[in-house]
Amino acid sequence: MNGLSLFLDVNESAAVDYFPIAVQLIFAVGFVVTMIAVSAWAGPKRKTSDKLETFTSGIATHGDARQPMAVKYFLVAILFVLFDVEVIFFYPYAVNFRALGWDGFYAVLMFVAFFLAGFIYIIKKGALDWEG
Amino acid sequence: MNAIILSAIAGVVMMFSGIFSKNKHALTNTAIAGLLILLIGNILDTYHVYTITVNTHDMLHFDKFGASFNSIAIGATLLYVLLSGRDIEKVGVNVAEYYALVFFALCGISLLSSFNSLLILFLGVEIMSIPLYILTGADKKNLKGNEASLKYFLMGAFSTGIMLMGIALLYGATGNFEINPSQSLINVPLTHGILGPLGLLFIFISLSFKVSAAPFHFWTPDVYDGAPSVFTSFMATIIKSAGFIAFIRLFSSRSEDLEVSWQVILPLVIVATLLIGNITAVFQQSVKRMLAYSSIAQAGFMLFALYGSNDLAREGIILYATAYSLATIGIFAILIRMKDYTFDGYNGLAKKQPLLAFVNTVFLLSLAGIPLTAGFFAKYYMLASAIKEGGHSALWLVIVALLFAAVSVYYYFRVIQAMYFKDGEAEMSETNKGFRILLVIIACIIILIGIYPSLLLDRLYF
Repeated sequence: MNGLSLFLDVNESAAVDYFPIAVQLIFAVGFVVTMIAVSAWAGPKRKTSDKLETFTSGIATHGDARQPMAVKYFLVAILFVLFDVEVIFFYPYAVNFRALGWDGFYAVLMFVAFFLAGFIYIIKKGALDWEG
Repeated sequence: MNAIILSAIAGVVMMFSGIFSKNKHALTNTAIAGLLILLIGNILDTYHVYTITVNTHDMLHFDKFGASFNSIAIGATLLYVLLSGRDIEKVGVNVAEYYALVFFALCGISLLSSFNSLLILFLGVEIMSIPLYILTGADKKNLKGNEASLKYFLMGAFSTGIMLMGIALLYGATGNFEINPSQSLINVPLTHGILGPLGLLFIFISLSFKVSAAPFHFWTPDVYDGAPSVFTSFMATIIKSAGFIAFIRLFSSRSEDLEVSWQVILPLVIVATLLIGNITAVFQQSVKRMLAYSSIAQAGFMLFALYGSNDLAREGIILYATAYSLATIGIFAILIRMKDYTFDGYNGLAKKQPLLAFVNTVFLLSLAGIPLTAGFFAKYYMLASAIKEGGHSALWLVIVALLFAAVSVYYYFRVIQAMYFKDGEAEMSETNKGFRILLVIIACIIILIGIYPSLLLDRLYF
């Protein structure tokens, strides 16, 4: 251990504890770099036009990805995220349901009420009308 | 508490009234009614008539200073909607949403004027800024507005990230989020280690961005120029002053922890802000853009309140927020009605609209800090607080500020010169009687505060 702390030039013994992590990091990066380098150097190279194309699970590519998309896709995606996150908030509440008591219940009720107001708002605004 | 709850509810109500009513005037009137209720609720709060009590677990701390600022912010918004409501209706179709966003921004402001926890500071800043990103791009067909909105959003998001980093570091240094830790908690002084000062520096950078102080001001001209003029008026006045209130609440309670290095950083930021704001404003051709740079310059003066952070500074920032907000709202209300936003567009306004030219002159004089207007005492209190705090070592800073105040007179007087001494056909859309009467009232308030500043400042104590 003495030799190690000299090698790393650290004063606190706690820093030595991180040495295995550093070794693992170096090994992980080194392994990846080595494997890619070796396969590129040792492997056979037969370049055909098919191989140089973008990989799309065997389906022929058409056009590029930078096309205008209808805003309604994004709208639905964003709204989904919103309501998804709302549900996530219920998990910690459900776990602490008993401990939080009535105060917690009122707080969650208010939270849901605000969310419901938002939901009614987007319905009324027609944000979910796919054809509109 | 009233201000926070009522503004959030008023925002939701505005959202829904947009569904049920397509009458734009009716929506404006609803917003005015909402603002009046909000103002009354806040004044009740100021005088300890509590209608709603919520256990905030020491995360909020209500005092006269914050409540007075709330009243000023809400009152200024009320005047702003009364003056420019017709122009808000013209921006686009979603009028109810614009008002709802204004209410949500006010909710953020009332959080900022009463926070006692860094978490609430973060929430307040976000609740205040996010509506602005949307309002900046409210005019969907305007390419410049879209660009401004995106720029503002991206840069604002980065500055928020920096603030969060700062809050995390401060938490690491002290072990709690409160800015005035209660007695029961073990209070670790900030001076131990680098984490605390570094965290404060990060929050300082982020808040400097929000109030557009010098090295972080680059978004200001583009955003203020690109946004619809009505919303620029709201952003440049009420929002900016709210940023300063948050700034002062945070730094005045931490002042004993601020090390000597702050006495170097803060003057540097002040001088840079004054220099960049004033010098660049001189070269502008558009009055709207000039006002954007002038708002940077005014931020430089408001930063003196941070340098002082004593009682004079707290009084001064209230005075400054009032004087600056009122004058700028007035100037913008007239600017919005002009056909041509350049200085030449104002040529000969005095002959066609003598009254409007006169009140505009009062507003400009107040911004320049000419005696007998509110702007004079605002600047006076700022500089006095710096002298009181720093003594002779602050003298050079005050002299620099006075020099730049003299520079600012040049570009403010260019507008007055155009209005009175140049011939031209200043074209203006129609103004009704109520609009003119309101402008005269605002001008009267500015002169009244300029003569008796105690009228306003006594409200802080009684």
